[in-house]
Amino acid sequence: MAGRASPFAALALLLCAAVDAEAAYGIDYSADRPEELRACDASYFRGERAESGRCYSALLAGDADIRIKAEAAWALGNIVAANNYFQEAFDANPEDARLRLRWGKLFEATNAEAQEVATLYREALEIDPAYAPAILGMAELAAGRFEGRAREWVEEALEIEPESIGAHLLLASMELEVGNLELAEESLDRAFELVESSDYPPLEVYALRASLDLLRGDFESQWITRALEYSPMYGDAYAIPAYFFVITRRYREAIDFYERAVDVQPDLYAAHTALGVNLLRENRVDEAYRHLRTAYEGEDGYSSDTTVNTLNLIDSFVNFTVETYDGQTDPAGGGAGVILRLHQDETDVLTPYVLDLVNESIDTFSERYGFTLEEPVIAELYPVAADFSVRTAGLPGIGLLGVAFGYLVAMNSPSQAGSGQFHWGTTLWHEVAHVFTLEATDHLVPRWFSEGVSVHEEWSTGPLPGRHIPVHVLQAMADDRFLPISDLDEGFIRPTYENQVIVSYMQAGLICEYIAMAFGQRALHGMLERFRAGDETPAAIEAALGITPAEFDDRFALHVAAEFDMVLDNLEAWNEARAALREHAAAGDWEGVRNSAAEAIALMPGYVDEGSPYLALERAQRELGDQGAARETLERYWRLGGYEPTALMRLARALIDAGNNETAIEVLEALVLVTPLDESVHADLGDLLLETRPADALTEFTVLAALEPHDQASVNLRLAKAHMALGDTGKATEHLLYALEIAPHYREAQQLLLEIVR
Amino acid sequence: MRVPPCLLLATLALLPAPARAELYYLIVAGLGGDPSYAERFAEDATAMAAAAERTVGSRDSITVLRGDDATRDALREALAGLAGSTQPADRLAVFLIGHGSYDGHEYKLNLPGEDITGTELEELLGAVPAQSQLIVNATSASGAVLEPWSAGGRAVITATRSGAERNATRFSRHWAAALSSEEADVNKNGSISIQEAFDYASRLVAESFEADGILATEHPELRSDAAGAFEVSRLSARVAATPVVEALNERLAELEEEVAALRLRREELGDDYLPQLQALLVELAEVQEQIDEASAE
Repeated sequence: MAGRASPFAALALLLCAAVDAEAAYGIDYSADRPEELRACDASYFRGERAESGRCYSALLAGDADIRIKAEAAWALGNIVAANNYFQEAFDANPEDARLRLRWGKLFEATNAEAQEVATLYREALEIDPAYAPAILGMAELAAGRFEGRAREWVEEALEIEPESIGAHLLLASMELEVGNLELAEESLDRAFELVESSDYPPLEVYALRASLDLLRGDFESQWITRALEYSPMYGDAYAIPAYFFVITRRYREAIDFYERAVDVQPDLYAAHTALGVNLLRENRVDEAYRHLRTAYEGEDGYSSDTTVNTLNLIDSFVNFTVETYDGQTDPAGGGAGVILRLHQDETDVLTPYVLDLVNESIDTFSERYGFTLEEPVIAELYPVAADFSVRTAGLPGIGLLGVAFGYLVAMNSPSQAGSGQFHWGTTLWHEVAHVFTLEATDHLVPRWFSEGVSVHEEWSTGPLPGRHIPVHVLQAMADDRFLPISDLDEGFIRPTYENQVIVSYMQAGLICEYIAMAFGQRALHGMLERFRAGDETPAAIEAALGITPAEFDDRFALHVAAEFDMVLDNLEAWNEARAALREHAAAGDWEGVRNSAAEAIALMPGYVDEGSPYLALERAQRELGDQGAARETLERYWRLGGYEPTALMRLARALIDAGNNETAIEVLEALVLVTPLDESVHADLGDLLLETRPADALTEFTVLAALEPHDQASVNLRLAKAHMALGDTGKATEHLLYALEIAPHYREAQQLLLEIVR
Repeated sequence: MRVPPCLLLATLALLPAPARAELYYLIVAGLGGDPSYAERFAEDATAMAAAAERTVGSRDSITVLRGDDATRDALREALAGLAGSTQPADRLAVFLIGHGSYDGHEYKLNLPGEDITGTELEELLGAVPAQSQLIVNATSASGAVLEPWSAGGRAVITATRSGAERNATRFSRHWAAALSSEEADVNKNGSISIQEAFDYASRLVAESFEADGILATEHPELRSDAAGAFEVSRLSARVAATPVVEALNERLAELEEEVAALRLRREELGDDYLPQLQALLVELAEVQEQIDEASAE
């Protein structure tokens, strides 16, 4: 611990630009907060800034302890001075746990790295392991990252200090995040009592009470009024509830509240940032930019990563094309159109496939959920992973591939490196399903149900056949780790073990599949209607399905047992067979691989995802010279939903060689939903389609041309052939001339040209 | 690209041959170290040798050194042989496969036994009379010899842009593919020029790193004033032409020049460009058709 000031030199430099800037000076509920400061705090948190300014200035000018001066400077917005005082106090009081905690709080308020903040809190705990405010600080950091251990920390803090207002408030906040409104209310009641019996500002209690009311649908909450009566420029009276709207994906309400927050407190820069981020989720790019810019300029020198990265993301939009497609969908399906925001380098390649898939999904879901979209679906595909990460910043338990904010869907582009393992078509299908569940419920759908419907739709109507359940989820099922339906949201928002989010996705998918099977697809509509009416999960289950959540859990467990018990019983033997085939493969024993792979397939025939034994079997069959069997294995793998791109390309080529062009076309069309930037997929598919579906062949060759392949002459010849097949000799001639301009000796192009001119 | 090779054959076989000059190949697969590298280097050398044999029609002018045979002495001896047997009008293509190293001063090609330095190789190559030379150094750190070897007007390709790129390279695999690829034959004349092979191979190198999601550790470089003119490989074997075919070939060559000249005037001609191009290309196709018919008789 000694001599560890050096890491903070960087912060000192960072803060040099931050003189007199406003950095959130939150309420310090610590019992050991000095009385002098609490006297000033009283006017500060009432919004009486002139008076509090005089009070804190007097502390600074007088002979107060250096630690008090640090706090006073911070309250006055002089961050550099505050940091210097803290540094000075640190040198003089190396064993002061509270000092380290408060210095950490300054770091936190100035958007320093969480790790730096945590270091200070941990050091405070090294000095005093039972220092509840530092334990609470750790809990707050963990909660900010949606880590399950936040609850352990806060419970530990409460055990040591049962009357910790901050701990009760954090607990309330965490319960609100997962929708446990009654538990949140209990914590808020306790915090309220404690605040009432002390002279701490009640502002945060009021703001959280307002959040509770709003989440219960009471938009006339008295608590915002009371907060503003207490402190007229307390922007968090709106910003805190806005946060819970974001967590529950109600972005429009969040925007409204963040707007009100910055109206009453224009220097609440964190609210400007949050407002900008959420405006962007509603595709209101210009307004988003203005608020983010305000935050960036206001937080001069200590802007959050979110502010800076989101501004950079908006700047990068100049490299994207935005195209609107109206009336593409069947009017009966009720689609309101599609807007695509694609990177300019990928627009010509991806547009036909993305557009087709979005339109198809809109038609499918409109019919299946009886809901008509009122606005165009906006689909954004990001070729740079970092940009997509910025787009999803601040969301708990977010998947890695796509996200839906309502009508706006954002996802990774298939061009991202290593995208062969990413079935972008399924991701897009999943995200458009969210558009329906979010909009059909006015964004009141709980996370589990929205994810469950999306996974269910992936499996039942999506472009990839079959269920795709990872092995670790099967293991979790075997270990009985599924959650009761009423608690399932927790598995998404605050996972307590690795991969619990994925387990929760799969459980939710299976639940929706079960509801559709046992109660009918109509029951899923019924659930959506109940959520729209404001029901929470237990009430929605009872109203839509006519049984209690506990009964549902029992029936679902029986269903899972019926569906999976055999698979789970075989899991160990299956793992052993897979291990054996790996050993055989390493030894080049292809006969052994064939036997072990066949054994594994017999134990779990539907498994076609990572490490599927089908691919090992096919390799063994090839090595043993049985090409026909290898092709049949690949075909079975593909029909079950396998999509490893090199395997599918091998299958397509084998089918072409075997003269089965019809199936080869299906395989290549499936490959487009995995590797749309692979030139050979479009070349082969176009060649096969040329005779029977020339218009589709032209699409494939147009996409091929957009990929700018090395062999420009042959792509122009292909385009010429497609135009010829469609009867457009003018276009055909033009492309032949382009081909021959590059390659004057191109025999096939010459022959076609002569055919046209003669 | 799925054009049946037979369609190209007649055309390709009858293109004007370089003026009676011989094309010599020297292909060296250096020390692999790891067995997987040794196997890969040998495969690349075999593929390059096959392309060379298809191009020149025999093994007489092809020297392949690989495995334990690829020693410094053997390499010196092969180059000395070429110094004695080639004429100034001849062409020489040297393909170096394997691991290279660069210590900041000297490049070395790793060979079984004693390595050979870049300086030594440069001297040996300088002694070969064939004035038109292509040296493809596909080894790691090969960029170190790019400037010195190309100083005399020699065409030089290196797998890396400097001696600092020291990872094992992927270039030789893609260079070998380029020599036999119809896709690499951008102008569809049935032969692969230095420029075509380089463009194709370097593109595949870049794409392979991109597909793996890792930063490229090699950046191929080409130094040549006439990379489009040097035919480094043919996609099919050459056959003899009759006098009638020779005459038609001359007309074909004239038309090609006219097409090339017209292309330069593309902007100036505006909307008139495509009709004029079409007239030339139709005639060119007709002449080609006559060549095919005459060859078939």
